Amino acid sequence: MIDCRRRSRGLRAVRFAVPALLIALLISFGSAKAQETERAKKLGQKLMCICGCNQILTSCNHVGCKYSHGMLKELDEGIARGESDDLTLQDFVQEYGQTVLASPPDKGFNRAAWIMPIVVPLISLYLLWQVVRRWRQRGAMATAGGPKISPEFLARAQRESDMENHEQR
Amino acid sequence: MDIFGSFALLLAFLAAVYAFAAGIAGILTRRTLLAKSAHNAGMAVFALVTLAVASLEYYFFTDNFSMAYVAAHSNRALPAFYKFAALWAGQEGSLLFWSWLLSIYVFSALFVNRNKHPELMPYAGVVMAGVQIFFLTLNNFVASPFNVMGGADASGTLRLATLGDGHGLNPLLQYPEMVIHPPMLYLGYTGFTIPFAFALAALLGRYPGEKWIHITRSWTMIAWCFQSVGILLGAHWAYAVLGWGGYWGWDPVENASFLPWITGTAFLHSVMMQEKRGMMKVWNIWLVFTTFMLCILGTLLTRSGVISSVHAFAQSSIGNWFVAFLALVFIVCFWAYWLNRDYLRSDNQLDSLVSRESSFLFNNLVLLAACFAVLWGTLFPVLSEWVVDSKISVGPTFFNKVIIPIALFLLFLTGVGPLLAWRKTSYDALRRNFAMPVMGGVLAGIVAFIFGFREIYSLICLILSVFVTLTIASEFYRGARVIAARDGTNILSAVGELTMRNTRRYGGYIVHFGMVLIFIGIAGQAFNRDIQMEMAPGQTLKIGPYTILCQNFDRVANNNYESERASLEVFRDGRSEMMLYPERRFFLASQVTETMVAIQTSPLRDLYVVYAGRSPETDKPVIHAYLNPLVKWIWFGGIVLVLGTGLALLPSRRAALVLRPAAEKSWGDAVAKDASAIGAIAHRSDAHD
Repeated sequence: MIDCRRRSRGLRAVRFAVPALLIALLISFGSAKAQETERAKKLGQKLMCICGCNQILTSCNHVGCKYSHGMLKELDEGIARGESDDLTLQDFVQEYGQTVLASPPDKGFNRAAWIMPIVVPLISLYLLWQVVRRWRQRGAMATAGGPKISPEFLARAQRESDMENHEQR
Repeated sequence: MDIFGSFALLLAFLAAVYAFAAGIAGILTRRTLLAKSAHNAGMAVFALVTLAVASLEYYFFTDNFSMAYVAAHSNRALPAFYKFAALWAGQEGSLLFWSWLLSIYVFSALFVNRNKHPELMPYAGVVMAGVQIFFLTLNNFVASPFNVMGGADASGTLRLATLGDGHGLNPLLQYPEMVIHPPMLYLGYTGFTIPFAFALAALLGRYPGEKWIHITRSWTMIAWCFQSVGILLGAHWAYAVLGWGGYWGWDPVENASFLPWITGTAFLHSVMMQEKRGMMKVWNIWLVFTTFMLCILGTLLTRSGVISSVHAFAQSSIGNWFVAFLALVFIVCFWAYWLNRDYLRSDNQLDSLVSRESSFLFNNLVLLAACFAVLWGTLFPVLSEWVVDSKISVGPTFFNKVIIPIALFLLFLTGVGPLLAWRKTSYDALRRNFAMPVMGGVLAGIVAFIFGFREIYSLICLILSVFVTLTIASEFYRGARVIAARDGTNILSAVGELTMRNTRRYGGYIVHFGMVLIFIGIAGQAFNRDIQMEMAPGQTLKIGPYTILCQNFDRVANNNYESERASLEVFRDGRSEMMLYPERRFFLASQVTETMVAIQTSPLRDLYVVYAGRSPETDKPVIHAYLNPLVKWIWFGGIVLVLGTGLALLPSRRAALVLRPAAEKSWGDAVAKDASAIGAIAHRSDAHD
């Protein structure tokens, strides 16, 4: 009797477990598929379509583009094989050359592409600072050599100047 | 009739050469008659180029396919609207169009100033004529739009030929915006010639004071406004026609139009430093020179084939001409600067780092950093190939990484600058002016974060947008409150009064607000979604709150194209909302297929649907749907920007402001008696932009 109850309980558990397992498998398969699609999208944004449209791979939808469809398919296949992002990108570089990458690789001479937009503004900022310092020094010298004005008078000037600024805005 | 256009163009070239030579002779000999004659010749160029343009348009409208340019860019079935626009569809016609717009500007500048600035105008006329000579040389001898079809036969006799029908206009250009976008952009490019000419003229002639800046302010703003509209229309065209769901792809040709816009913007700001404080004279002169040179560089990039782009004209040797012209312009500018550098000494010094002057300095630095980054990214593929013989791409990923932080810092400065006073801002004023906008911005950020806004750049953009909007609003409110209290009017009419009293300042604020709207629209890009699906009739796809039901696919045709069209019904919350009809058109004359996107637009989001063609594997129609939030804000921001610029161009109504009772002695008067040397402080302090 107990055995029978146990068996029926076991059967019931199997009856629930199998669909649950199937659903779980489907969900995990679905989410893995969604993750793959998301990864493909992200990787696709790091690649250029080589048809000459100058657009990133996932954006190129030129009518009759001979490349984007095949490239996207290759990308999906690479991801389905479980390749890492770097390896997938490397495969593309080997097949299509460096131009397939949407941005310059951060090595060798190409590193300059990334460094210069930071270095040049910093140098400009330094030069600007030098100019400002010179201007301020000249300003201080001009004030030192100018007519004597009492501190109260200067304070009033600043107050009124601020007030006029405020009122006239 | 066939030779009429080329004859007019040749005469225009001769007139420009005469204006240039007689202008120089007039300056050297100081004979006013020569200068006057050069002036008139400069104006005649406009009439002659207009005749050439009119004759080319006549060939288009009469389907004269013996003209090579007409045969290459038009056909009989082409609608009249596009026949008109075919003028600038190719290299030769667009260069003629360029010359024509330039001649309109030159004519207007010469006409408006015909009885003014006798010392400056001869120099400006010579510079303008010099630029015209270059473009008319191209029109006449390098890329003539008046070449005829045909050639020499076996006996060496020239035989004219004509085609039954033309090759038609590039299908990508058969879109209403393409009729407006290139003229707007060209009006921007060519318009910067006028401030360039006056700046170089002032330097060469050592014209005293800041007069050249006052003369060219309106011209610069007009050119800048056209450039802005041109860029935005180009973005809208890319969005509505190219069908990739975006509006800005950092394409080299897009970048080329953006570069002079950036330096032009920097100039419009830094020029105020020179007007108010007599500072940054060297900087301003070089900003104008750079802006003009970037216009030429942009044209070089578009036309030479140096860099690949869907927008570029075919590769040709014309680039060498532009390189030579660019080099010549640089040499002349540098020579003029070197000879007259003492003329550009600053009148004043910087008093405090917390001042309007500093904010302009930073604003200029950041704008120039942006300009450099865009130029560097655009030219890097060429540089890389040249240095290490390796072809690489610099795409949107690079530009977005580099430009977004710079742009956000610029947005921050847009809010900070107007709240700082000239010379120095006291701590109290700083606290008073910044408290509300900063609080508003932070509060907006917190609310957005709570509601799930996690994209960092978009969040910062939102915070800064609220901050800038509040600074602008507070500027209007505080000024209007003073007027309302004094005149007893309501606050709204006081805002109108205030704006009309200083159109330049308040027009500028409206332009800033337009930029804020554009930034918000761009920030929406972080939340774009898209889905692509093969769809048979009866199938549905879901994107965001919309369900799209494919009803059927049909074919429509006219003389110009055959079209395959999808009929899609869009549902929202189970209710039918609209029908969308994305198409693929096959243009008969050019034998090219293009997509026509269907867009349902609203302030919150655009539903953007492309009929992407048939799947190569299943032959089923493929529909690509995008959900693009806030795109409409970009176009609306553009309208606000134009309105603001228009307002800033209006003359200000003279204010009869009484700042304090007449009985109380003004500080300026007191200073004049007490210490005349610092009188400038008081008088400068009320000289706001």
